[in-house]
Amino acid sequence: MVDFAAIRGEFPILDQQIHGHPLVYLDSAATSQKPQTVIDAESEFYRTINAGVHRGAHELAALSTEAFEQARAKVAALVGANAAEGEEEIVVTAGATAGLNLLATAIGNASLGRGGDAAKRFALKPGDEIVVSKAEHHSVLLPFQELAARTGATFKWFDLDEEGRVRSDTADEVITERTKVVAITHVGNTTGAITDIAPIIRRAHEVGAIFILDACQSVPHLAVDFHALDVDFAAWSAHKMYGPTGVGFLYGKRELLEALPPANFGGSMVELAWMDKPAQYMAPPARFEAGTQPVAQVVAAGVAADWMRAVGMENIEAHEKTIAAELLKLGDIDGVRILGPRENVNRIGTVAFDVQGVHPHDVGQFIDAQGIAIRVGHHCAQPVHRHFGLFASNRASSGVYNSVQDAQALVEAVGKVRAFFRV
Amino acid sequence: MADYGMSSEELEQMYQEVILEASKTPHGKVSFTAGDGQQATIGVDSLSAGESTLSATHEYCVPAQSHQFNPTCGDEVTVRVEISDGTDGKPQHIEHLVWDGQGCSISQASLSIMVDLVDGKTVDEAMELFHAFHKLMESRGAGLDDEAMEEELGDAVVFQGVSRYPMRIKCALLGWEGLKDSMAQALAQMNAKEA
Repeated sequence: MVDFAAIRGEFPILDQQIHGHPLVYLDSAATSQKPQTVIDAESEFYRTINAGVHRGAHELAALSTEAFEQARAKVAALVGANAAEGEEEIVVTAGATAGLNLLATAIGNASLGRGGDAAKRFALKPGDEIVVSKAEHHSVLLPFQELAARTGATFKWFDLDEEGRVRSDTADEVITERTKVVAITHVGNTTGAITDIAPIIRRAHEVGAIFILDACQSVPHLAVDFHALDVDFAAWSAHKMYGPTGVGFLYGKRELLEALPPANFGGSMVELAWMDKPAQYMAPPARFEAGTQPVAQVVAAGVAADWMRAVGMENIEAHEKTIAAELLKLGDIDGVRILGPRENVNRIGTVAFDVQGVHPHDVGQFIDAQGIAIRVGHHCAQPVHRHFGLFASNRASSGVYNSVQDAQALVEAVGKVRAFFRV
Repeated sequence: MADYGMSSEELEQMYQEVILEASKTPHGKVSFTAGDGQQATIGVDSLSAGESTLSATHEYCVPAQSHQFNPTCGDEVTVRVEISDGTDGKPQHIEHLVWDGQGCSISQASLSIMVDLVDGKTVDEAMELFHAFHKLMESRGAGLDDEAMEEELGDAVVFQGVSRYPMRIKCALLGWEGLKDSMAQALAQMNAKEA
């Protein structure tokens, strides 16, 4: 039995008053708070072994390189990826958005003939198809929409059902023999719905397409194993999984990473550089990690990954399920509509809602005055809001540190909103 | 009223009676679109499409409109103004001012109070009020140190509480930006005609 009250105590930021109320943080889908051990890891790195990695031969350089690679292995262990030297499947990025853009740019480069024969499997041409869903965050939607525009590929998408779930049942129609790339969210950042990705992945592979998973909202909350899921690529960020900002990870099946041409060019990604001959690039993951890496943050992200595994992803999942159940009671309030699955099945503790007659900005202001932090706006997912006939909404999202009382405090506060605004 | 905790004072300072009231029945709000008055699309400048259909109620007036959009929350407004060109013997003034849009209570109330304040005013007076309101919203809750100016702003001084919240200042200014831009367009058209 995990003591979640003690776990909450590991997050120093939560121990404060906001507007005279104890802080209730229900905005983990935007960014999670950090446990003391992660906060310490970053400063400890700077205090003891800070140096550039994969360059230089002095002692600190060796130690920091080792810490960097160990962090990669810790993150790999969290998501079921390979980490042995020469088999690495985790690429360090500047965030999930950077990882998805890296991938879209690399596929675009392959489409221009870069990367030789090995990269031909990624090449797009007019008539080929890229498939996403209407539930995507703008960071999936836009890089792949732009990739379609650059290559002449057709941009298509999965529709959503009335609860905002990706219509996986339509995979056979949406994904065709011409589909080359499929990019889908694992968990909707607005709806909290866990996508039934298995039929989509099966269909994508049936037609020879690559499947890219947006794992931003799944890795922090669910036990995720990329090998078992059979995804080809996955991107997520460290700051939503109790790690630092400025860091993300891109998973790729080893053979695909080896075939993929680079997207960013510069230091530490090239074996031989010439004035008059094409450069020879390094093997992955270095090929995709041009320039100085945010080493202290990566090391701290590795600590976060270990910390999550120590708590246990199954335990985290079960705990947050109890928060989700409480948050879903928002739907019982008169005039409040949940934008996403109303049943606590195949969903996480991210619950978006609309308060009839009160604009999300006003809801958010009222809720904030009670010391409760939720997100208001379109959550970088405008199409899913349009799906619900809205532009913006309110979103509460749980983390490992939340208690059922946190959710109850929110439900109680939301219950007063319409009276305050006289609707 | 129910107890909203220690923060109720702050909250009520922001959402003053005048604001809540004005946001419920905003002045100057009309429907520009045919049919049920609902905007068909949100976040698309659908309302700017009607440019060519703008017509003046008097021949001495020049009509113009401005579409304003806040991408963070989707607040959206189109302000339509008619400016007299001076041929009616009076200084250039706002002959007619209406708007259509949707948004939070702050943006809706601000538009309503703006209409009450500037409709019928000369262009110069309206611009003075625009600058005074801007100053108020930049005051971080302190208000203006100019009593005469506060007097001029009338009901609009209730937004002093809003100026404490950087995230909401744009809500209060949305309509005023639309006013300024539409007036500038009308004046530019007049100048073009004269030239």
